[in-house]
Amino acid sequence: MRIVIAVSLISLLLSCTVEPEPLEYGQDACHTCRMTLVDKRFGAELVTTKGKVYKFDDINCMLAFFNSGEVDHRGYAYKLVVDFDKPASFTEATEAFYLKSAALKTPMASQIAAFSRKEDMETRKKELKGIYLVWGELVTQFK
Amino acid sequence: MRSSIHILLFFCLFPFLNQAKTVTVDPKGPVSTVRKAVDLAAPGDTIIVRPGTYREGNLKIGKPLVIIGENYPVLDGEKKYEILTIQSHDVTIKGLRLINTGSASMEDVAAIKVINSVNIAITGNQIINAFFGIHFSNSSRSSVRDNELRATAVAEDQIGNGIHMWKCHDISIEHNRVEGHRDGIYFEFVTHSFIIGNTSEKNLRYGLHFMFSHNDEYRNNAFIDNGAGVAVMYTNGVKMYNNTFERNWGGAAYGLLLKEIKDSEVIGNHFTRNTIGIHLEGVSRSTFDKNDFTANGYAVRLQASCDENNFVRNNFSGNTFDFATNGSMVLNTIDGNYWDRYQGYDLDHDGTGDVPYRPVNLYSMIVERIPSAVLLWRSFLVMLMDRAEKVIPVVTPENLKDNAPSMKAYDRVKERI
Repeated sequence: MRIVIAVSLISLLLSCTVEPEPLEYGQDACHTCRMTLVDKRFGAELVTTKGKVYKFDDINCMLAFFNSGEVDHRGYAYKLVVDFDKPASFTEATEAFYLKSAALKTPMASQIAAFSRKEDMETRKKELKGIYLVWGELVTQFK
Repeated sequence: MRSSIHILLFFCLFPFLNQAKTVTVDPKGPVSTVRKAVDLAAPGDTIIVRPGTYREGNLKIGKPLVIIGENYPVLDGEKKYEILTIQSHDVTIKGLRLINTGSASMEDVAAIKVINSVNIAITGNQIINAFFGIHFSNSSRSSVRDNELRATAVAEDQIGNGIHMWKCHDISIEHNRVEGHRDGIYFEFVTHSFIIGNTSEKNLRYGLHFMFSHNDEYRNNAFIDNGAGVAVMYTNGVKMYNNTFERNWGGAAYGLLLKEIKDSEVIGNHFTRNTIGIHLEGVSRSTFDKNDFTANGYAVRLQASCDENNFVRNNFSGNTFDFATNGSMVLNTIDGNYWDRYQGYDLDHDGTGDVPYRPVNLYSMIVERIPSAVLLWRSFLVMLMDRAEKVIPVVTPENLKDNAPSMKAYDRVKERI
């Protein structure tokens, strides 16, 4: 009997895993600017180690929250950004390739798109012009 | 003397020097396409388009022209093309019916697109099922008037905005009707402009979306039943007069969402049956005067990040919560409003109550922290707690009170601004 209780307790605990949530475009609101998410090429998400999920419509909204200190920088289980070329799908923010271009009309005017593959970023860079950035530069730029 | 004769001669000859001709487009006439007419016309000419359906793909207008439709001739984009692309000064587009533009994820395909232009008038057109309706960028001194825009999209990402303005100044948007787009009217980096007498209804996201657009004014508009209401953000010096915000219901819907606003005025507006009448975040030095809040979930939700705002002469009636806040510091004044829940008295008959009114409900503070607690609202215990809190404030901000509540609702007929 005790084993049954223990097993069920453990399985209960395990079911509360920390997981990212998909962005529901047209329904979810950005945590920083309160706008409803609509553009599937842009978006970001932070998930804390306690499982709290913050959703954003643009990278500058995510960085505003990230730099606000409301959550400690080590307190995130996931830092995710939407891949510009794969609408509504996430890639790890710290490893993504970023393109800042005036031709990018993002929801909050950050002018930044994220890519999971460097080749995709290079292709868009030829088309849209602009500059290539990585995570570290991005975080300091929006401080 | 000589010079005055010259001037006289000039004025006599002026009409001939400047004679613009008219080109008529008729499906059965010698000029049967709009494209041909645009090619034939000299700068400053007028093109009259006779009734008919014209399927001509994308038409580029690169010189000053007046294009007038008779009885709404149809320009059909066949769900493939942007219909009119204007890149010239002094262009008028009037009385056309533009239907079925193409759509794209990278480009903003529009029924009428205006780029880098001055002195453009878009008047009295019907735009049906466009991706973007009227799209201006980098343009100025132009007007968009008496147009009707209707679209039938189901998802926000499948449709663009009705009237979209990006990096413009001195624009006037008057008496248009926008329905079923993503955002009805969209302003980003637009300054010194007017939005007057428009109706923006049943749009999927915002009725009006306003970002980084300083010193604009919008008055006498109606924003009804939009997915998320109206958002005005990151802007200084905006004037909002006599607008109606109605029936904006939903989890993330606001009659009016104000975020990072400074030195602005919200006067004489009506907020009726919205989930949240006005939500304020980071709003400073602004005036909220003579507004009516009727039958909203929250009339005003004031976040602690707001300061030096003044609420005066507003009517609050039939709202579930009159005022909600998430902080204990109060840096705003709310003196001299009418509250239908006020239970004080007026012994000296000066029209204002003798005891202050505290509009923040204890339970609204709890709901601010635990949203699902709203389930217990109107239960007996909650009512008891609320009464006790009214007598001895513990949770609600002590200083958030109306020191001179009006005994009677303000009569708006007598005092229009």
